[in-house]
This record gives sequence, C-alpha cells and structure tokens, in this order.
Amino acid sequence: MIVLQLVINGVLLGGTYILLAQGLNLIFGVMGIVNIAHGAIITLAGLFTYWFATETHQSPLLLIPPVFIVMLVVGGILQRLLLEPLAKLGRSRELLTLMVTFGLSYVLVETALNFFGSQYVSLPDLQTTWSVAGLAFNEALVAAGALGALISGGLYIWLRYTASGQALLATSQNPVGAVTCGIDVRRMRAIAFALGTALAATAGILLILILPLSAPTADTLTILSFVIVALGGLGDYRGAVMAALLLGLVQSGVGYYLGGDAEVVVPYLLLITFMVVRPQGIGHATR
Amino acid sequence: MGQWLERRLSAPPTTPATAARGPRPLAVAILVAVIAGAGAVPLFTSAYVLQLATDILTFAALAYGWNIISGCTGYLSFGQVSFFGIGAYATSVLVLRTGVPWYLAALIAAAFSGVVAALLGTVMLRLRGIMFALGMLGLARILVVVASDWNYIGAAGGLTLPAQLTPVAVYLAMWVAVAGAFALNYFVLHSGWGLSVTGVRDEETAASAIGVPTARIKTAAFIMSALAPAAVGGLVAWNRSFIDPPSAFDPTLDLQVIVFALFGGIGTLWGPALGTLVLVIVGEQFWAYLPDLQLALYGVLVIAVVLAFPGGIVGIANRFGWLRRRPVLAPTTLPSVSRPPQPAPPGDETIIEVRDLTVRFGGLVALNGISLSVRRGEMVSIIGANGAGKTTLFNAITGFVKPSEGGVFYRGKSVSDIPSYQRARQGIARTFQIPRLMESMTVWENTLLAARYGKRGGDAVEQAAWALHTVKLDALWLEPPSKLSPGQQRRLEMARALALNPTVILLDEVMAGMTRDEQGEIRAVLRHFRELGVAAVAGVEHVISAIADISDRMIVLDRGKKIAEGKPDTVLRDPLVIESYLGKVS
Repeated sequence: MIVLQLVINGVLLGGTYILLAQGLNLIFGVMGIVNIAHGAIITLAGLFTYWFATETHQSPLLLIPPVFIVMLVVGGILQRLLLEPLAKLGRSRELLTLMVTFGLSYVLVETALNFFGSQYVSLPDLQTTWSVAGLAFNEALVAAGALGALISGGLYIWLRYTASGQALLATSQNPVGAVTCGIDVRRMRAIAFALGTALAATAGILLILILPLSAPTADTLTILSFVIVALGGLGDYRGAVMAALLLGLVQSGVGYYLGGDAEVVVPYLLLITFMVVRPQGIGHATR
Repeated sequence: MGQWLERRLSAPPTTPATAARGPRPLAVAILVAVIAGAGAVPLFTSAYVLQLATDILTFAALAYGWNIISGCTGYLSFGQVSFFGIGAYATSVLVLRTGVPWYLAALIAAAFSGVVAALLGTVMLRLRGIMFALGMLGLARILVVVASDWNYIGAAGGLTLPAQLTPVAVYLAMWVAVAGAFALNYFVLHSGWGLSVTGVRDEETAASAIGVPTARIKTAAFIMSALAPAAVGGLVAWNRSFIDPPSAFDPTLDLQVIVFALFGGIGTLWGPALGTLVLVIVGEQFWAYLPDLQLALYGVLVIAVVLAFPGGIVGIANRFGWLRRRPVLAPTTLPSVSRPPQPAPPGDETIIEVRDLTVRFGGLVALNGISLSVRRGEMVSIIGANGAGKTTLFNAITGFVKPSEGGVFYRGKSVSDIPSYQRARQGIARTFQIPRLMESMTVWENTLLAARYGKRGGDAVEQAAWALHTVKLDALWLEPPSKLSPGQQRRLEMARALALNPTVILLDEVMAGMTRDEQGEIRAVLRHFRELGVAAVAGVEHVISAIADISDRMIVLDRGKKIAEGKPDTVLRDPLVIESYLGKVS
C-alpha cells in the first residue's frame, strides 16, 4: 500500500517536473543553450505567488494565465536584449551564453531576496487530502501534477500539429534548413525563449503549492530541471517526460525511506550515473 | 556586432616576423617594485589596508585557479567553490585532529583537493561543456548538504578553530598562494605543455588528431585549477577561525571570482589579477552605498562584459598593443630548415590495411564490407560520389569512428583498441575537410603543437620550422589562422600533419575550394612526399583533375562499397565509375 502511495505521489510529482523541464528543453532545442536563470525564474514566480496568495487570499491558480502572458513578453525582451547579440558567434557562443544567463540568474535572485527575503516559504492552501480506496491524494499534488501534464501536453500538441509549432520544431532540428523554408529563425529563438521562461514561471506557480521555495536556493531548481533534461537526452521531448516521471518516482521513494537530505542528492547522483552509463540520455533509441 | 565580438576573443599576435624572447627590462623592474611594495604593505599601512590587500590576494588566487579550467581549457566551471570548501575543511580537520602546522595543512589540503579533482575529472570531463558547467554547479550544492550531515567535520554547526594566525601571516601566505596560482597560469599559457591545453580548448577533435592526449590534458588542467582554491580555503578558514557548510561552499564566491576574472580578461595571464584589483577596490567604495544590490550588480556586470567587451581589460589593452601574449617557444626568427631528401624508415610493405570494414550509423550503412590497402611508396586517391563513405573511411582509420565490423591495420598490427591520439603519435596523420585550426594560436604554435607529439618530439622546434618551410608558410609564421587565405589554411593543416613526422598522411579533400595556383602549391608538396620521409599518402578527393596525375593508384567508392581500383586512367574510364557519378545512359 505504501508502495502504491509512493508511486502515485511520484507520478504526480513527475507531472510537475515535466513542466519544469519543458521550458529548459525548448530553449535548449531551439537555441542550443542552457538557461541558468531558469531556476531563478521559477523561484521568483513561486515567491510572487506566495505573496499574492497570502495578501489577497485568492487561489494561486488564478495567476497562471496573467503570469504566462507577462513572462512571454518579458522573456522575448530578455532574449532580444541579452542573447540575440550572441547568436552570431561561433564556438564561443555556448560559453558566453552560459555566462550571460549566469549573470541574469543573480540579478533575479537578488531581486527575489530584496522583495521576498531569504526564507523558505510554501503555501498552506490546497493541503486537503482526498482519500480514495485507502490511498491519499493530496490536493496540491494533484492540481500541480494534473495542470503540469495538461500544459505540457498542450505544448506538445501545439509543437507537433500547428504550423507555428512546427516552425519552432523545425528550427530546433535544423536552423539552416528552417531558414531555407522561409522560417524567421530570429523570431523563433525569441519565441522559444519567451515560451521557455513562461513555462518556467508557470512551473513556479505550481511548485510553490507542493514544495517550499527560497531565493538563495533558486539554482538548485536549475540543476533539477537540467538533470531531467539531460537524463532524457538534451532536446528530446519524450525523453524528458520519461526522465521527469522517473525522477518523481525516485524522489518520492527516497524521500520516504531516507529522508529529506537524501532527496536533495538524488537528482545529482542519478545524473552522474547516467552520464557514465548512458550519456545520450534515456530518450533515444539504442544506436 | 557578432563578428566584432568574435574577433575580440582571439588573442592577437605580436609584431609579425620577429618574436622577442626573454623578459623585458621594464617588466623586471615592475616585478621588483611589486614585490617590494608587497612586502612593505604590512609594515607601513593600517590594518584596514592590510585586510583589503589580503582580500585582493585571496580573490586573485581564486580567480587564477578558475582561469585555468574555464579560461585556458575552455571548460566553464560554475562550482570551483567546491574545492575552496574541500580545502577549508581538510585544512581545519588536519590541524584540529592531528596538530599539523597550518601552512603544511593548507598544502596537504591542496594536494587532497587535486586528488578529488582527478577523480571528478574522469567522470565530468568526458562531457560537453554545458554538462560540465552545470555538473560543477550541482556539486557545490551537494557538498553543502553532505557537509551539513557529516558529524566528523562538525555537521551543520561547523568547526571552531583556535586563533593561530596573525593578519600579517595570512597576508604573506596569500601572496604565496597567488604566486603559485600565477605560476601555474604562466605554465599553461607559455610552456610547450601548456600549448596542449590551448589546443584542447580551441579544437578538441583536431588536437586528438595531432596526438594530444586530450583526456589527460583536461584532467591535469582541472587538477591544477583545484589547488589554489583549496589552499586559499584553508587559509581563509583559519583567518576566520570558523567554518561551516554555508560559508565554506558559499556560491557567491563563485560569482565574484567569475566576475573578476571575466572583467580582467578570461584566459589571459594578467586578466585575473587586473580584474580582481580593480573590482575589489571599486567594490569597497561601492558596497557601502548599495549593500543590498551587490549580487544583482555583479550579475549585471557579467552580462555587460560579455556583451560589450568579452576580452575584458586585457582585451581592451591588446587593442593598444599592450599585454599581448607572446607565442610559445618561438625563436627570435624562424630558422630556415631544409633537409636533404630522406627515405621513410624501412619496414612494412602495407602501411594501412582495411579488412571487411563496415560502419553503421543507426540504420544507415556508411561503409559496407570494404577492404583496401595503402602500400609503401604510393599515393592512393580515393574518389566517389557524395555519400560514398570516403570521410567515414578516414574517420575509421584514424579512430574517430568505431567500426561496426571489420578491422583497421596499421603496419600489420590492428589498431582497433588504440585511441586516435595514439594513432597520430604512431604516425598516422590526417587533415580535415574543413580546416580545424586552433584559432587563438599562431601558425607557428599550431605546427609546434603537432611537432611536440610527433616521432621527433625532442626536436619539436626544429621539426615545426621544417614543416612550415616545406609548405612555404615561413613568412606567415606569427599570424593567427584567421588571417590566412583558405589555401594557406590548407597548407597549415598539411604543415601540422608533416610536423608529426608521420609514416602516412591522410588528406581529406585537401583541394576543395582551392584556386588553380593554390592547388599547384599543394601538389608541389605532394609530388615529393617520399623525400619528406613519408611512406605513403592517401587522399580523399572530389577535384579529380588535381590528383589524377600524381596518384599511383585510384580507388572508387560508391554507397559504402569499392567499385573500382587501379591506375587512374583505367579507373576513370570504367563505366561503373562513370555511372556512379553521372547516372546511367539509357
């Protein structure tokens, strides 16, 4: 019974993790860079949600649509200002972009520190638990997992079945080919980054419902997202989903049997193991 | 704007045609003044200035450590504070539990940190840059958790250390640390060995093809980068008389070190010192007014430097001709080394043999059971339509691609288990279809690097000079590859191959995109390969007219199989060959 409970919790947690990872995955796929400020965006959104919920006593889920749209705009602006100038460079582009997003991360973290302090916070809302057939379903976990999966699925459908989404996919698979098809690759990069940050912010809104967040530990979320993306094979959509679920399950189990501290180390150890054993990630078919 | 950024990142050469050696008198005078001034600080200034100076030295040492792995080797590390913390804890535990004097403990801690780096490196340096950067970031966070739970080292409460160090002692010890870290940087940027590090940073694959043992070099650089932070960590712990996990693995240390090194000039010799000096002093004045925005402003500074002047202070100085990097081991003028015609070392008849070689990439069969050989004294041309598998063949021979079936034999022995850099050292040289030259090194250094790993490693300077003379690139020896024409770049690739003193040279489409004159220059070298001590040459080529008359034998590939072999005249008239290029005439 415990095992089944842990599995359920793990799957729901995985649903939220999927959302965490997709933002990073999208940016990596289309732009070939890892956004180190990813965790800072998640945390900032989460802390803002906390403030909103405690000040206005409204449901935090109300924030999802406006924050998504605002972050789309902000992300697009950030990309144009900070990252597009680097897009023309050759070999050094990867490292310099890492630097820029590294700097951005600290700007955001300091902002969060100044506005929201350095304490861990989480929302007491949605903590009711439904009991179904002897298994406990935590409302926050269900909401986060379900919404995460929903948004992620919606993203997938948009990418695969709409013209604009396919343009984005095309750019991630072959930028030069995309240009020859008439796709505005510059716009695609801006859209990818905007979407990536919007997804990260949404993930933050959902994450604060189930996990405590704090400004100083923002980059652990970057690492977590990166682990999921790397485990799944950088840029691989389905791989990321599998990795998110795997991580959710493992963390659920480890958290129960070994405690909170071990839980923190799990993503890192998983990543090291996979890097040594199967560096291309679990998503790809055997070569 | 993008191109402007790219140019700022490559180190410009010194004045062409000559490269002065030895320290300039002015530099020596400055050095003496600095050392004297350093010694004077504790004697003539206040405690505040002493503390400031110590802080500058601390960060300079950390910045130099970071510079080695991130700047010189190109593996950006966002977690060097891991070594700082390891050093802090190791030193403290050593002194507390065994009573070893603190300076000795700091040295032992540094060595221990090096061992940790070696172990970490075996896993993490195999990865791409991004993985390494984030892996190091994660490591620092993990270590905080581990340290917080480990009772032997005080767990979350940390360790309290008896006050043993005077501020002057710390100041002097930091000078030693900075000197050591600076010396390591100097070694990496100015020694022949260090050239391998730069080569790995610029073009890891090509470095492997000219004999550089890339994994070992990276690990060595990583170890070097771990020593300074560990020693400094130990000294800082003792200075503060207290360490605990958050202060030992403080992530903002990483941020500051990165900002300082970046601002000064990443990957340069003076960058870390200059950046630290300027920013710590400026920071001191600043933080009094804006204590809450320190991290944010550092973040903004990182962004600003990357977008506006990624070369840092040194990059800007270079534009005015200051602080330019001297080419490594460059003689004052390039000797004109020509050798009498020399035969290749006698021995085996078959230099390269490929038996039933099959290479599959997923569902695609690039090479399908190919067998061919390259014999002593001959030049073999391998031609075929696009997608025939020619470059894959070369990649399999040189070790960049693993065969799915079949074997590759060099001088009679199988090379399947030999990594590519060793195949290069044993005498298999290759050029690349798109020249992979090390952009931040001069023509001379590109060639010298190969010469060091060739069979004449001892006379590397002479060998490199000879190679450049043979391909007639002497006049351009101090230029960066970016200033060469495509033809000259190809000749540099050939010089690099020759510098290895190879037994066989594999040329991958060396004539592509060349003008007739440039083709003529390369043909001149190829015609006389036997006199250069090379046993055989194999060339993959599309520009058939350029190699048909100098080849002894021609092999034609089509879709992974060999369809013709023989004298060029015969092969080029073979209907199967014509059909593979032009299609069937019905």
